[in-house]
Amino acid sequence: MINTVAITNSKLNQYRLRVRYRKDGRLAHLGHLEVINTINRSVRRSQLPFAVGNGFARRMRLQFSQALPVGAASLGEYFDLFLTEEMDPKAALERLAASSPTLLAPMAAGYVPYGLPALEAWLTRSTWSVNVIDETSVEALSQGIDAVRARGSLTYLRGEKEKHVDLGRTLVSCEVRPSGNGFLLDCRSTEEGSLRPAILIGAAAREEGLAMPALSVCRVAQWHEDEDGSLVEPM
Amino acid sequence: MRLAREDLFRLIEPLLPLVEKPSRYLDHEWGAVEEQPGPFHACLVYPDAYEVGQPNLGISILYDALNGADGISCERCYLPWHDMADLMRERHVPLLALESAAPLASFDLVGFTLAHELVATNIVETLDLAGIPVRAADRAEDDAIVIAGGPSVWNAEPLAPMFDAILLGDGEDAIVEIAACVRDARAAGASRENILLALSRIQGVYVPSLYDVVVDSTSTRWGYAVPRPGTSAPEVVLKRCVADFASTPACAEHIVPYMGIVQDRLAIEVLRGCARGCRFCQAGMTYRPVRERPMDQVVEASERGLAETGYDELSLTSLSTTDHSQCAPMLNELDERLSGRGIRVSIPSQRLDSFGVDMANAASGSKRGGLTFAPEAGTQRLRDVINKNVTEEDLERAARNAFEHGWRRVKLYFMMGLPTETDDDIMAIPAATHRVLEIGREVVGRGKKSKVQVSASVAVFVPKAYTPFQWAGQLEVGEVERRARLLLGANTDRDVKISYHDPRTSLVEGALSKMGRAGFDLVLAAWRRGCRFDAWTSEFNYDAWEAAAEELGYDLPSIASEGFLLDARLPWDHTSPGVSKGFLQREWRRAAQGVTTPDCTRDSCVGCGVCPALGVDNVVWGERA
Ligand code: SF4
Repeated sequence: MINTVAITNSKLNQYRLRVRYRKDGRLAHLGHLEVINTINRSVRRSQLPFAVGNGFARRMRLQFSQALPVGAASLGEYFDLFLTEEMDPKAALERLAASSPTLLAPMAAGYVPYGLPALEAWLTRSTWSVNVIDETSVEALSQGIDAVRARGSLTYLRGEKEKHVDLGRTLVSCEVRPSGNGFLLDCRSTEEGSLRPAILIGAAAREEGLAMPALSVCRVAQWHEDEDGSLVEPM
Repeated sequence: MRLAREDLFRLIEPLLPLVEKPSRYLDHEWGAVEEQPGPFHACLVYPDAYEVGQPNLGISILYDALNGADGISCERCYLPWHDMADLMRERHVPLLALESAAPLASFDLVGFTLAHELVATNIVETLDLAGIPVRAADRAEDDAIVIAGGPSVWNAEPLAPMFDAILLGDGEDAIVEIAACVRDARAAGASRENILLALSRIQGVYVPSLYDVVVDSTSTRWGYAVPRPGTSAPEVVLKRCVADFASTPACAEHIVPYMGIVQDRLAIEVLRGCARGCRFCQAGMTYRPVRERPMDQVVEASERGLAETGYDELSLTSLSTTDHSQCAPMLNELDERLSGRGIRVSIPSQRLDSFGVDMANAASGSKRGGLTFAPEAGTQRLRDVINKNVTEEDLERAARNAFEHGWRRVKLYFMMGLPTETDDDIMAIPAATHRVLEIGREVVGRGKKSKVQVSASVAVFVPKAYTPFQWAGQLEVGEVERRARLLLGANTDRDVKISYHDPRTSLVEGALSKMGRAGFDLVLAAWRRGCRFDAWTSEFNYDAWEAAAEELGYDLPSIASEGFLLDARLPWDHTSPGVSKGFLQREWRRAAQGVTTPDCTRDSCVGCGVCPALGVDNVVWGERA
């Protein structure tokens, strides 16, 4: 459900507008910083009454969900924009849409309580669709994933650094898509880190003696996971 | 062969996950002109990586002008980085323009920006990747007409064999005339040869193939160019110059890139030209006369541009922004209108006096990064030689003012190898740097917490065409290194940093600044040995340049260090920015005597010849401070 009424922080008189947007087509190749810069400018162009921080640099008050890997598309990215005036979220969405590149278009906007934790930390669950777009056998990869999961954890290199992910904690489920051309992953980010789908597929390919397949990765949705394990919609 | 105009993004897309910084190749930025109906198609190429080329204001101005013209569309193209270029070659993907993703070799008109000498091999690389014959002479009837323009056209000869035509001077009007000329000539079924003849009749357009190079006893070893008989090409091509600068669009930048680029902000050109007359400065001689944009226009365009683009930084650019006669009220007005929006205003370089610091102060609000000054030379004697009309007191007062206003880091730019330079001049550089540090400590205090730091960056002087120093030879590398050792050895304080530029990069720049048309063989040989992105410290390969020179029987150091006789015919005499040779010779003599020449926007005309030659005047809206 989308909130149309803002809950303001009475001290600052600011309103927290949450916006869902997509990252699509060729813009999937943008890096996280590039997306942040672009949205920053889209907001400025929209002339919404955005709040500016008190810091030295007087930056716009804007928060983002967890970085998407370069090359990954998304149907459910979020940012929280702090406004100094309460305005109709529909009107705000329209103005944002008119000032954003179409492949980064905002799709929904609504107010959320001012005091919620930062978006990045709050959105802990995500669903990914991973399509194999070359000849690599999805079945073989599926076996590879099972073998990797059976070991419980995964080690990989990020630059020079060795990284570990606990698959028991970070990979909630992994299914072959009904079409048979890829996977649907349900992932959880923890304080120790999160699992990038391409890392899992890469490890599965190695397990099976295959080369890294060409993938098309899309984050389909994100949620907050409550203490009791239930999923909360971001809006 | 002209390739078909078709969208080939599908060939680039699979390569994107394989390269660093895929956003270089994405297009679809905010403000890009995606509709490209033509029917005449032009493409502007900045022959370097996207992040270097995209902020170029010249390209933005021409992109705007061409896309605004009836029946003409214009796109952009940058040179792919090595990783992408290698993949494209491997998979036979030709170089594409950004907006339509059509092959560069499918365009009617391709225009290169010549930003500096070190883009030479990048142009070869661009043409080669595009599949356009590198030499103009090898192009087929229907191949694109390849032109060039920009700040570095004043010795165009070493690059001339690649271009069908070269535009000298201001491009906003001329580029549309050029495109229309090619379009109309094509429509009339004109041959390539006749198209080039027609282009040579447009003022400011130089068509290299209509000139022969003659080497004789009146010239340097590089010869001079004379029009071919029967072509009616002018003996001297005079640059284009926009007389009424205020009539040009004040805000030319509309495209907002995704990736962090070199100058990630909105640039508004507040004036064109500089008449201070520094004798080493090519821009100062070739962009004359001075034309200010009126303050109201600047303020209005800044507000509009910021709203349109969403940038949070505004740069008021020009060769000498603080010389604008309305600089102070302009900054005040901008400050008033933009306050509370988290927008930063910057001016690119500070004039070396107290006024310059006041303006930097007005521009920067509460933000205090480093402040930059360019005394250029360490002693008053040498500053008089180069006509840098600032005194010891100017520097000291500016420094004091800066520290009092809260700056803690000051950067000083100097040059090494200037004509008449002695070891005393060199030793005066660290001395001046230490003096500035001392002033900072006086003002702020001596403790560690005061954080006062002064750095000096010392570039090697490269003599350039159409400056009073065009006859000078460049200082040899061995001697640069000896003087650099003197310089570094004289640094006695931890809070002073002195650095100098790689003299070998300057050597290649110097050789290309001196050579005539024969220099193109050197460029080609260097490219064949893998040279490209020569302006990137990480990519510059001197050994390859040296080997290329050797292969052709050239010696780079002796080319760069050769002085020319004052009355010799020079390789660039036929492409003129309007400054008379007599004026330059007079300035060269005055330099030798250490006599300075005033600024014609503050004093009377000093007779450089530009205004009468081009029928233009300085345009200054108020009294210059
Ligand atoms: S001709 Fe005179 S007024 Fe015009 S730019 Fe030259 S020196 Fe200045």
